[in-house]
Amino acid sequence: MSSICLYFQVHQPYRIRQYSFFNIGIESNYFDEELNITILNKVADKCYIPANKLMLELIQKSNKKFRIAFSISGVAIEQFEKYRPDVLDSFIRLAKTGCVEFLSETYYHSLSYVYSKPEFERQIELHREKIVEHFNQVPKVFRNTECIFDNQLAEDIYQLGFKGILAEGVPYLLQDRSPNQLYTNAIHSKIKVLLRNFILSDDIAFRFSNSSWSEYPLTANKYTQWLNVQRHSADCINLFMDYETIGEHQSKASGIFDFIEHFAKQICSKKGFQFHTPSEICEKYDIEGIYDANYTTSWADTERDLSAWIQNTMQQESLNKLYSFREDILSLKSKELLNQWSMLQSSDHFYYMSTKHWADGAVHQYFSPYSSPYDAYIYFINALSDLEIRIAREKANKGIH
Amino acid sequence: MKKIKVLMIGWEFPPIINGGLGVACYGLSKALSNKVDLTIILPKTDISFSLNNINFIGLNNIDLNNIDIDNQNYKYEEFANTIEIAAKEFSPYPNAIDKLKNEVLGNNISEATDSNNLFSGNDLYGDNVMLRVYKFADYVAKIASSLEFDIIHCHDWMSFPAGIKIKKQSQKPLLIHIHSLEFDRSGIGSKNWVYEIEKEAIANADLIVPVSNYTGNIAIQNYEAQISKIYPVHNGTEFTAAFHQRKEFPEKLVLFLGRVTGQKGPQYFLEIASLVLKHYQNVRFVVAGTGDQLRDMIENGAYKNIGTKFHFTGFLTKDKVNQLLSMADVYCMPSVSEPFGLSALEAAQFGIPCVISKQSGVSEVLYGALKADYWDVEKMASHVISLLTNNALREALVKDAYQDLKSCSWEKASEKIVEIYHKAI
Repeated sequence: MSSICLYFQVHQPYRIRQYSFFNIGIESNYFDEELNITILNKVADKCYIPANKLMLELIQKSNKKFRIAFSISGVAIEQFEKYRPDVLDSFIRLAKTGCVEFLSETYYHSLSYVYSKPEFERQIELHREKIVEHFNQVPKVFRNTECIFDNQLAEDIYQLGFKGILAEGVPYLLQDRSPNQLYTNAIHSKIKVLLRNFILSDDIAFRFSNSSWSEYPLTANKYTQWLNVQRHSADCINLFMDYETIGEHQSKASGIFDFIEHFAKQICSKKGFQFHTPSEICEKYDIEGIYDANYTTSWADTERDLSAWIQNTMQQESLNKLYSFREDILSLKSKELLNQWSMLQSSDHFYYMSTKHWADGAVHQYFSPYSSPYDAYIYFINALSDLEIRIAREKANKGIH
Repeated sequence: MKKIKVLMIGWEFPPIINGGLGVACYGLSKALSNKVDLTIILPKTDISFSLNNINFIGLNNIDLNNIDIDNQNYKYEEFANTIEIAAKEFSPYPNAIDKLKNEVLGNNISEATDSNNLFSGNDLYGDNVMLRVYKFADYVAKIASSLEFDIIHCHDWMSFPAGIKIKKQSQKPLLIHIHSLEFDRSGIGSKNWVYEIEKEAIANADLIVPVSNYTGNIAIQNYEAQISKIYPVHNGTEFTAAFHQRKEFPEKLVLFLGRVTGQKGPQYFLEIASLVLKHYQNVRFVVAGTGDQLRDMIENGAYKNIGTKFHFTGFLTKDKVNQLLSMADVYCMPSVSEPFGLSALEAAQFGIPCVISKQSGVSEVLYGALKADYWDVEKMASHVISLLTNNALREALVKDAYQDLKSCSWEKASEKIVEIYHKAI
């Protein structure tokens, strides 16, 4: 018997508006509410609403054999609360089936693990509160922003009380071993590490509607056969992807909804396979080996490292400057300043600044609301300059030096 | 495979250069010369100037009185009304147009000019430009009748009448290479005789090669060009040995380089400078070049409040231009309509970050640049300020632009051109 672990990431950042140099010191509204609502509505209608409906039906019709996990960022939940309560309700209905696990992550979908451990912990706690509030469950498995992972993170997460963590199954760290079993990190031997099977995951997430792919079109039958091939050596096959894959990255016309439906039904009716959530996987299976991530990996780009967010000088400067404000921001105890500073932490802002292959019009630009990485940086750094001025003003007002 | 025989008709060519056209024709034909059998006919060549594998014919080196061309009546009147309107406001080539106007509207049009003198002066536009263009067409057509070629390739309106004539007499396919259009130079409503020549050529051509998608779209929208004939090829750039030089003043330097005409947006540069200086004073702005708006710009006094920080150099030689580039901190090209914009690539070679208008062809190849609509002075100005104050941005742009330069070569452009030739042969 092998487990199939389906986990979907749900996240929408607060995108920064075209915040000009001439706004600095004058206007302090950094975010493009109109754009954010537009995108949220678009993705809600294409993906969240119809996909949640499908998931609910599959759970009900399979007698709860169909089981999935979500990680929903705090900022995405906030936006559902404000603009699309119907989406939030549909996630709550899924939670009530008992077949859906909600994972832990940083509230702001941030890179705080890399820049500030105390900030990282603050955001995990904030996120936990939000998940408990809406879904009435306490997350037991952690998933860091974009699957950013290393030995020390796994250790820190274990110390925070989590029993499992998700990571990318990076080939050069696996060294010919299978990603389809549980590992632990090289520091501790108790935390359970679930590794993403990136080939099988990306077959759906990236290649599904690519007509020049040799396996196109991908049918549920074919896909289940591929899983079958790996079954004899697999405890758990971890299929991790963005939830927006269903209906947004892969359009409805591509047949993605039908694919998911047939795939789920086939697995539920087949002997030898069962759906399990990450917590169930951690309960069910033992650690089979050590996954030694002695440097930091992620699920992004072909490099599978931090270079999507922290590579060029613009990204580095933005991040260093942003996190250098933390002490001041916390000491000022201004809810508004804290909130805006936190919203600026979403990893997306730095992803938009990436100049990697951008001349080829690659994946970073697909997601970016700006016409170039330089524009993304300029608006961000302008907003940050304004924040800096406000911090100084507040400090002066409060007589802090 | 047998080499294609190309008959190229040009106007500007080194060492006689007025702007980007001559530079581009030179770069392209040099790269083409080892791929095709190339003959270039020009109004004027310098005997001391030669390139391997290219057969140059300069009308200035031929005794034109021995070439018998049909005596033709040029119907200048047809254009007379439109040119009057156009010339008041706009000018195809600034220093030529006033004289041209007199000439065209005056009574002495038909007076014969000594053909030999027509192409031996220093200014190819200057006096009699229209007469020159049509006489050029006649002589070139005559010369072409004794040449063997598979395709005709001409550059911009001055050579289009020649191209059309040769196509008609030889039945060979005509490729017109568009480096700029009257629409760019004079804006909407520029329906003068240059426009008419361009329009006729666009209708007659078998292949249209604009230097950018931007210019291709103008040809479609304003000249009714057939989309299926259009194959844009971006210009390349010659490698320049860049150097850096210390400035004689402590302020940073923002540079505008090019003809001071409406098309290049110098008035926007002035506005950008004025806005930047309100927020950031440690900078000087330099307009390098000359043109019909130079006097206006100096006289109109718009810059008076910033006069001590806003400078004009007038015409500069290539050496002087390079010297300025070696000192500049930001290159600003707020062109209203720029078919390509080679100078931005030259600035990038000198490691200068560029702020360029979206209404330019170069913005299609220079990803490592900040862009804004030419009329969006506020955005342009904030881009300039960002580059003056932010090293992280500056470094990223310079590095990325350098990568972009690698893909902008004449070698690549010429390979594309050869592919395009094959579509008509």
